[in-house]
Amino acid sequence: MTSMSDLIGGGSVVSHDAQTGRTEKDVVNALDPEAQALLKRVLEIERSRLHLKGSDAGAVDDLYEAVRGIIP
Amino acid sequence: MILKSIQLENFRQFRGIQHFPLDVAPDKVVTLLFGANGAGKTTLLNAFTWCLYGELSHDVEEQDRLVTDFVWQSAAFDTEIPLSVEVAFSHAGSTYRARRAAKVRKQDGARRKSVADLQLWVTDQGQSKVVEGPQQKLDSILPQRLSRFFFFNGERIDKLVNRQAYAEVKQDIKTLLGLEQVERALDHLPKLDRKLGGELKKFGGAQAVEIQEEIEKQETLLTNARAQRESLRDSLGMLTEEHEGVLDLLRKHEAAGPLQAQRDEAVEQVEKARSARDHREKERRNLVATRGYLAFAGSLSQETARLAAGLHERGSLPAPLKREFVDSLIDEARCICGTELGAGTAALRHVEDWRAKAGLAEVEASWQRLSGEVKYVEETRSNLRSRLQALAAELEQDRETIGTWEGRLADLEGRIRDIPMEEVAGLEKKRVDLQARIGVTNQDIGALEKTIEELDVTVAGLRHSLKSAAVGDAVAQKARRRLEVVGAVDAALREILAIRSTEMREKLDTKVKEIFASITVKPFYPKLTDDFELGLYQVHGDGEELPVPKSTGENQILSLSFVAAVSELARGVAQRQEETPETDAGNYPIVMDAAFGSLDIGYQREVARALAKMAPQMVVLVSKSQGEGEVYEQLRPYTNHLGVIVAHTTSAAERSETIDLGGYTYPYIDTESSVDWAELTEVQL
Repeated sequence: MTSMSDLIGGGSVVSHDAQTGRTEKDVVNALDPEAQALLKRVLEIERSRLHLKGSDAGAVDDLYEAVRGIIP
Repeated sequence: MILKSIQLENFRQFRGIQHFPLDVAPDKVVTLLFGANGAGKTTLLNAFTWCLYGELSHDVEEQDRLVTDFVWQSAAFDTEIPLSVEVAFSHAGSTYRARRAAKVRKQDGARRKSVADLQLWVTDQGQSKVVEGPQQKLDSILPQRLSRFFFFNGERIDKLVNRQAYAEVKQDIKTLLGLEQVERALDHLPKLDRKLGGELKKFGGAQAVEIQEEIEKQETLLTNARAQRESLRDSLGMLTEEHEGVLDLLRKHEAAGPLQAQRDEAVEQVEKARSARDHREKERRNLVATRGYLAFAGSLSQETARLAAGLHERGSLPAPLKREFVDSLIDEARCICGTELGAGTAALRHVEDWRAKAGLAEVEASWQRLSGEVKYVEETRSNLRSRLQALAAELEQDRETIGTWEGRLADLEGRIRDIPMEEVAGLEKKRVDLQARIGVTNQDIGALEKTIEELDVTVAGLRHSLKSAAVGDAVAQKARRRLEVVGAVDAALREILAIRSTEMREKLDTKVKEIFASITVKPFYPKLTDDFELGLYQVHGDGEELPVPKSTGENQILSLSFVAAVSELARGVAQRQEETPETDAGNYPIVMDAAFGSLDIGYQREVARALAKMAPQMVVLVSKSQGEGEVYEQLRPYTNHLGVIVAHTTSAAERSETIDLGGYTYPYIDTESSVDWAELTEVQL
């Protein structure tokens, strides 16, 4: 299964935000389980639609369904 | 994507069906093709992009003349002439064959734009099947706008690193490095937020509705401010490039050139002096912040030393066990533990032993420590005073230097303005105008940054209030929870994007430096700014880093280093994304026309040496003058396929030529031909 880090682009988990000093792992871990699940789904959806141009409405619909699936 | 072969049919000057293998072998990743000027190197480069995306580069003249002239002229009216380009390649473990083809009907003498259809087949485990939506599939393998990194004309490659291209290049790099999905998500989440907000407004209570409406209002402002900032950044890039272009014209101008050279020097000196001044002011601020208190210590340290010396003499310096304390115990004839210290008792003898030991070593140690500390404070205070005095003098000197150079700058500006030539006056007016616009744009960007920061805080506060606001019922509570989660994901993705962008930029910067240094021995080094602007710098004797003007050759090397770095990073990212490091995901070929176009001999050798290691596949198209000798010798060990695009020509101005490759002689320009056409010939290595 593809991990969160891989979905975003495969960077290391040690780089940090210059302003907050947090690493990517810190950012993800600070989210509650529902937000973590949604973050993963959002990236999966966006990645699968990368080659589609001008598909804002379709993407928003897919994201809406994802939220409803996670918080039914 | 690793190219396996290309086949052309009546495409431009490539008459009939012509095939050329391009596959690679371990450590042999180069295909080297020689061709005279006009033989068809640029056409071959364009054949790839026409097949994959249906487009030719802007420098291809008469784009409607796709069919070979001779074939067109000799075809009968009302016949269909087959035209096609077929590119075979492998990608992520599968083999593909892309074919763009048209049947061009000759109805009259006029050439019309041909409508060509694209077909794509994939072969998996020996089974070949048609790919539906072939263009979408090709775009998912290598998006068209990214193709400029991989199929390009070496002579124009420096366009990749000019400022006008930054905005696009930055976006392309993000796509290539896998950050585009994050950006798209950040574009879509506010729309999702709006959609979910509608549910809350429908079912929530008055308080929640009011807060949600305010959130939406502030977020609209935030989105607009962000878009405006991006647009201003793009404008700034263009203005700076235009400003640089105007300066270049002034440099080349016969009358203004010498004065502009002096002005360049003055600008450099002003920048250098300002930078030195800024460093010194920073040092002064740091000194005052960390040691400034010493200035108020006055004679405190000497007074402390004097007091301590007195105490030392009296043995009264604080020590773990004072002799006076032991004396008082003996006088009172009672120990601290309550034991009677009667004359001649063992207890008294024991305490008297302690009296001998107490104070001496400890007092001495305390004295030494205190003396050392007092001395250190005294020295530090004295050093602080000296450094601050020196800094004040140096800053005064900086101010004078800046003033002198600014004066010279003003004088030079006046002299350039006074040149009685309309052209110079026009350029100078434009330069002043552009400089002013750059200043205003920078200010506007700064103001927007502040607005965005404030709006971020406002929205975060409103979201927090929404959490505790009273809502109508369970449906509204659910809507609010969904909004909370979407807001949290949005904020997290924004932070992740910042982390990833920085990481990618730093990696790219390191890689570009590494590749650039492997090609040139000049003491320059490239640097990729936070905004993905690529510049060339040099550290001067005083440790000052200053940009250096790029010559055409250096620009080309810089661009090549950049392309190679992007290619390598993309490979790493794609392999991690696919979790299949054994496949060629993220591998892209580099197909280069005129790779050595404007490089001098020394650079040609170094670039040739570096090319073979730049990408998992290189297709290098060169002329005899660019590629013979050193270049050929450097690339030969890495070459898997070697070829010549033979120019068959009817031109009386040309003379027949041959090319010597690996000890054999091959035709290069053939003037015996009765028609003009190009022939792809593979030759033995």
